[in-house]
Amino acid sequence: MSVIMSEEIEEIPLASSETSYNDAEKNDIFNREFMPHINSMYNFAFRLTMDEDDANDLVQDTYLKAFRFISSFERGTNAKAWLFRILKNSFINDYRKRSKEPSKVDYQEVETTYNSEEAAEVDHTTDLRVETVQDMIGDEVATALNSLPVDFRTVIILCDIEGFTYEEMAKILDIPIGTVRSRLHRARNLLKDKLKVYASSMGYNTDEY
Amino acid sequence: MVLDMHASASTGENKEYKKVYCEHHTECLKKIQAVLDGEASEAEKEHFRENMDDCLHCIKMYHLEKCVKEALQAKVDKRLCPDNLIATIKSKLNIIS
Repeated sequence: MSVIMSEEIEEIPLASSETSYNDAEKNDIFNREFMPHINSMYNFAFRLTMDEDDANDLVQDTYLKAFRFISSFERGTNAKAWLFRILKNSFINDYRKRSKEPSKVDYQEVETTYNSEEAAEVDHTTDLRVETVQDMIGDEVATALNSLPVDFRTVIILCDIEGFTYEEMAKILDIPIGTVRSRLHRARNLLKDKLKVYASSMGYNTDEY
Repeated sequence: MVLDMHASASTGENKEYKKVYCEHHTECLKKIQAVLDGEASEAEKEHFRENMDDCLHCIKMYHLEKCVKEALQAKVDKRLCPDNLIATIKSKLNIIS
């Protein structure tokens, strides 16, 4: 086994038991349980890759894998979380390696940095105003979000844009719930830093209110 | 999840608060985020209710967190999957609609 292969993540969530579906049942599951999430999946793929062609490929690969391994999916369970986990793992295995993202940073390195800085955590209420955020347009907020390292971007997308619970996020990301909470906390602080810098550069008033 | 405690998190100009600066703001912020995410434990909710009455710093953090979360939910453009991609996927898998 090559080094690259050994680093790859198991893409399909393990099921406690596999179910043998006939063709009509597979068709029905695909249409009723998988397809309703395709817009959310595409949006997630686009926010991860920040490229329309890559998002197209990632969503297509994910749905083809989901169908190929449909016996691992238990009908009536959380299809959205199951699909998001496959997409996230496909992204890590297939796309992240060739990502042109300039801010690509080793996650462990980032987390260590933020852990060490937590004691002197910045108080954002003194330098970012509610009114400033309310005045921003969507593209400005999206630019700040896109500038975050992908692991931090991911938790904000899953929680704040897609509305997953911490428990669902833990399953999608293969991390404990405590790590979901701490990663979200750091991601949001980083986002507020970016919003602050952006607001200052655009001439918004960022003085304390 | 809608919490009625949100209503108490106001910044009434005439009110005098016991605290203007919170020395525990990092821990308080984590609890505030859990409340806004609908994931707070009973103890975290209780702590939140108490602080929303007494601590101006925590009230400001609450409003900023809520505002950023709402901006992400409401303002960031949600990309829709192109119809031709849906058609391609269904075609490759012989899915009948």
